[in-house]
Formats: sequence, C-alpha cells, structure tokens
Amino acid sequence: MNPVRRFFRRYVLSTVGLLALLLAANVLLIVGLLVLWEATPPRESFSITAFCGQLSQGPDGWQASAEAAAMLDPGAWAMVLDPDGNVVWEYQMPDALARHYSAGAVAMLSRWYLEDWPMTVWAQDDGSLVAVAQPKGSMVKYYLAMDKGYFGFLSMLFSVVVYANLLLIVALFLHSARRVEKAMGPILNGINSVAGGKPVHLREDGELAEISAGLNRAAAYIARKDNTRADWIRGVSHDIRTPLSVILGYASQLEEDPALPEAARAQAAVIRRQSEKLTGLVADLNLSTKLEYALRPLELRPLDAVELARQAVTEVLNGGLPEGYTLTFAEAEPGARLTLAGDPALLGRMLANLVHNCVDHNPGGCAIEVGVGPAAGGVLFTVTDDGVGLPPEKLQSLNRGAPLPSTQPDAPHAAEHGLGLRIVRQVAAAHHGRLSFAAAAPHGLAVRVWLPKR
Amino acid sequence: MRDTMDGLDRSILIVDDEAELLEMVRGVFLRAGYRQVLTAADGPQALALCAASRPDIVILDVMMPGMDGFEVLRQLRRHSSVPVLMLTARGEAEDKFTGFACGADDYLAKPFLPRELLFRVQAILRRSAPSGRRVRLAAAEVDLENAEAHRGGEVTPLTAKELLLFRKLYENAGRIVTTGALCAAVCGPVWQGYESTLATHIRHLREKLEANPSKPVSIVTVKGLGYRLELPGAKGAAR
Repeated sequence: MNPVRRFFRRYVLSTVGLLALLLAANVLLIVGLLVLWEATPPRESFSITAFCGQLSQGPDGWQASAEAAAMLDPGAWAMVLDPDGNVVWEYQMPDALARHYSAGAVAMLSRWYLEDWPMTVWAQDDGSLVAVAQPKGSMVKYYLAMDKGYFGFLSMLFSVVVYANLLLIVALFLHSARRVEKAMGPILNGINSVAGGKPVHLREDGELAEISAGLNRAAAYIARKDNTRADWIRGVSHDIRTPLSVILGYASQLEEDPALPEAARAQAAVIRRQSEKLTGLVADLNLSTKLEYALRPLELRPLDAVELARQAVTEVLNGGLPEGYTLTFAEAEPGARLTLAGDPALLGRMLANLVHNCVDHNPGGCAIEVGVGPAAGGVLFTVTDDGVGLPPEKLQSLNRGAPLPSTQPDAPHAAEHGLGLRIVRQVAAAHHGRLSFAAAAPHGLAVRVWLPKR
Repeated sequence: MRDTMDGLDRSILIVDDEAELLEMVRGVFLRAGYRQVLTAADGPQALALCAASRPDIVILDVMMPGMDGFEVLRQLRRHSSVPVLMLTARGEAEDKFTGFACGADDYLAKPFLPRELLFRVQAILRRSAPSGRRVRLAAAEVDLENAEAHRGGEVTPLTAKELLLFRKLYENAGRIVTTGALCAAVCGPVWQGYESTLATHIRHLREKLEANPSKPVSIVTVKGLGYRLELPGAKGAAR
C-alpha cells in the first residue's frame, strides 16, 4: 500500500479509536462516581414509612415512640391529620400553623410545601394522614407531569440529537482528515520521489504552499546538482574525444610505418594501446554516469542470450585482442534456445567489459572463455580466465560489492580502477540480475552473471 | 570491372572543422592506398565539393560551427544519394537516430580507431559497389550482379539466399559475422531455428567457391561464433 494512504488510514483509525476511548471514559466516569456514591456510608436519610412505624393509635389517641422523635432532623416537625383534616397529633409543630386543613390544602401540602416547609406525607390504613415537615430549605420538590405523546416526542428528540451529533462529529472528522490528506498527500509523495531521485514539481498553493515550495526548491537543487555533474562529465568526455581521435590515429599510423625503427614503432604501439584504454574509460565514465542518474532509460526487448554473447565476443575479437590473449565462446547446452528480456547494447557492453577486465588484470596474457547457459529461472553468463586470479579475501569483498582492486604491482596505493566493473554491476542491477566472483580451476577468475528471464 | 583491393580507386570526401583531425583521417586513407581523398573544413565547402567532384563516400563530422553535419546531410540528400558516414564527438543515441533519420549510412563515435573507420568505409563502399563488380577470392570470383561464381573456367549460379549470405560476409570481410547475424541477413529478424539451414547454405557456397570445400580458406568457420570471409591479400589491411 502507498505509504501516504497507509499513514492516513492509520490516522483515521487512531482518531476513531480516540473517540471511542473518550466515550468509554465518560461511561466509566459516570458509572464510577455512581458506584462511589453508593459505596459511601449511608447518610441517615429520613424514611416516612419508618417514622409511621413508630406511631400508634391507642385509646388515648396517637402515640409516638421515643425513636420517632430521634428520627426527625432538628427543626423538623410532624403531625397526624384525621380523615376530616383536623390535627389529631403533633410534634414540635409551630403554633402559627393552622390545626385544620381542607382537602385542597392537604392536596397542596402533600405535593409541595406548607408555608415553605417541605412536606412528606403518608396515608394510614384508617384514612388518617401522617405529615412530616423537614427543615426549611433542606429539600427540593419538583413535580413533573406531561402528556404521554409529548413525552414520547421529547425522548425521541433527545435520541435524535445525540445520534445526529455523533454522526456529525464522525463526518466532520472524516472530512477534515480528507482535507489534510489532500493537502499533505502530494507533499509526502513528493518527499518519496525526492528520496527516489525522481523529479518533483508540486503546486504551490493552499495552506501548505510554503512547504510545497520548499520541497520544489530542494528537488530542483538536487536535480541541478546531478545535472551539473552529469553535464560536466559529458562535457569533459566530449572535449576529450577529438584530441584522443587524433592521438589514436597518428599512433596507429606510426606503429604501422615500416620506415620507422622497431623501437619507435613499439613506443607508438604503447601510445596507441594507452589511448585505447583512455577511449574505453571515457565511454565507461559517460555510461556509468548516465546509468547512475537514470539518464539512459533501459530499452528492454526479447533477446536471444546465446546470440547476444556471440555478438559481444565477436565484437571484442573483431576489435582485436592483444598478443598473448585468446578468447573463446562456449554454450553450456549447445542448440538450447535461451531468451531473456534485456537491453542488448547494455548487456553487450557488460560482457565486453568483463572480457576487458580479464585482459587488464592479467598483463602476462591469459585464455578467456565466455560461456552462456540456462540457470534456475534465467540465463547464466560466465566469463572465465586462467590468469592470476584473486586471493579469497578479495573475492569475498568483491562479492560484497567492493570495487575491483588493481592487480598491477606498481600501483602505489593499489588504486581501485573498477569503472568497467561498476558498469557491469549497474547493468546487472538494472536487469535485476546477480553478479558473483569465484576462483577458476586451477587458477584464474570466474565471473558469473545471472539474469532473470522475466 | 574488377574489384581491385576493395575499391581503392574510389574517391572519399572528409569533412571536419578540426584541421588536425582532418589531416590525420586523410593520412589514414592515403596510407591504406586510397588515391582520391578530398577534405573540406566546413559545411558550405563540403556541399560545393560534393557538387563539383561527386565523391563515392562522404565522412561527415556532426559538430561544426555554422552549418552542422545534420544540416549538411539534409542539403546533400536533396540531390545526392552518396553514402555518408557521420562522425560525432557525442556518441549519444539521439544523435545516432537524428543521423539515420537525415539519411546517414553509418555512424561512428569519436574517438575511433583508424582501422574501425577504414572498415566502416570499406563496408559501405562494398554495399554501394557499382554494378558488374566482381569479388576476387582465393580460388574463385563472385559476380555480385549476376549472382555467379567463377572458378577456373566453370560458372556456377548462386541462389538468392547464397547471394544474400555472401554479400553479408563480403560487407564484413576480414571480420567474424555471427551465426545470428547471417541467419538474420537471410531470413529477417525472426531467425531462430534457422542455424542448421544456414550451415547447409554455407556448405553449398563453399562447394562453389573453395578449391577444397573440406578445407575452406575463404569462408572460414569461427568455432561457436560464426564465419569470416577472407579476401586474398587483405589480411591486416583494415589495421
């Protein structure tokens, strides 16, 4: 999945998670506080039925037990009304209050207050009414009554508002996340492209215009630097070509001039050989730079691997091998048709470079064999020589990707001159191939390049 | 007309703004035995020389001040089909395509080896051989126009495929031509599976051209790679 999409998917999921957490926290808080309230030691709350239990009607009228008085809060008072509304028993009842209450007054006080005393009433079996007044201001009394249809509507309204709000929160959040994604997406993709060395140009508008502009500048800077370097190499290699042609041309002519002494012709041959090396180097440098900065696109096409190797070997042979070297070609399975998708020019160059490496690293001459054959899921090219080879530790470091070290003993710092090999690596990598180095028997170097069929 | 040492009697025009390179290339052809080697330092001079001397081949530098090589080639192509080999200091693929699109016959990137230049010029000259030319081999002569092999007093016709094959080898005389390239010359880009038929054609050619077909000296097998046509006295001439 695209990392940007992955990031926003995680962002949305984490926010939904946070919302769920918030909801859960609220529920937990409410439940927790309620539990805590219930768990606190029960406050002595007045119970009218318990109070009634402490009252009794004897022959001398109503009697209260000693506990009954204790049950009342300080400042509270109590009375008992008979069915006619007369006070037949009282306890600490203020004198200013009436001792007879009409049915209407009883209805009022049982529901609300009596002269601001909040009242609690309980009807007895005999029709009398026990009324207890709590201290003024100690109690809140509300009376709720409404039409059933209206109550249904109100509860529906409440649920609708709650759910609509929840939906709206989710929708607004998703919308906002989408906006952020739209603004951030190109920038994150741009960063990815810059990291991958691809060109980037973002639109410089909206709230994040400055960030886009900064990224554009960074990408342009990197591209300019790459181009400058590639241009520089191209320029140098271009300017070097004409003088090199003249040197090569005259050196060749001097080398073949029968009128010159043998020693002079030998010197001309050295100039010609070194100029040829320089020619190869210029071409390698140019190609390596192009591959490095992806300035040369791969031209993949179906190839006959055997013919490709034949062409590469033939070109080296037609170009002329120095004395002391032989180059042969071998098919692991003669007649087998080996096809692969590749860039013929690059693959040919890769094989030629490997052959030239054998020549460069064996100044005393050697026999080189280029082989081609089928291998698991692809084609295996081998370039083997019977030269000096390399010590095991060098082979190991080569297989880890190190440049090819010089084998020439007079190189003071054992300078690495692996440009030709660098191209081999680049070409193999561009074709998703593998490169390995091994010792050849009884001596020499064997380079294997495996390329997938694709 | 007989092929005398790869058409050394034919005229060559070399165009380059670099005087020293021009002189060097002229020297390469003179030493190789060519007798008519003309030079021009810029586009207009080259066009004038082409019109006046009608060279058999033009070697044209791409990067020249004023009129570049592509422009010279475009103007040249309006009234001439002379073979043109482009020389460039760039060697980039786009240059190659532009060159071929303008009507170039071949393309060589600087720096080049004199023998490579000589070989390319010889190959082009062989392709554009005037009619009636004969190719002299060690034991026979091949009449390219009439598709005939002359050995001793005996004249044998060459089949169309044998002629195609021989032309390909002749254009690249002295060099190895791979089996694939030869098959492609005979039956086009999809040649896989044709290798054994190619071997039969080669055997027939040898029977017509070699003194001893079992020990060929003109059409030589290069093991695993292909074949090479050897011209008498031409060994090392490309160097």
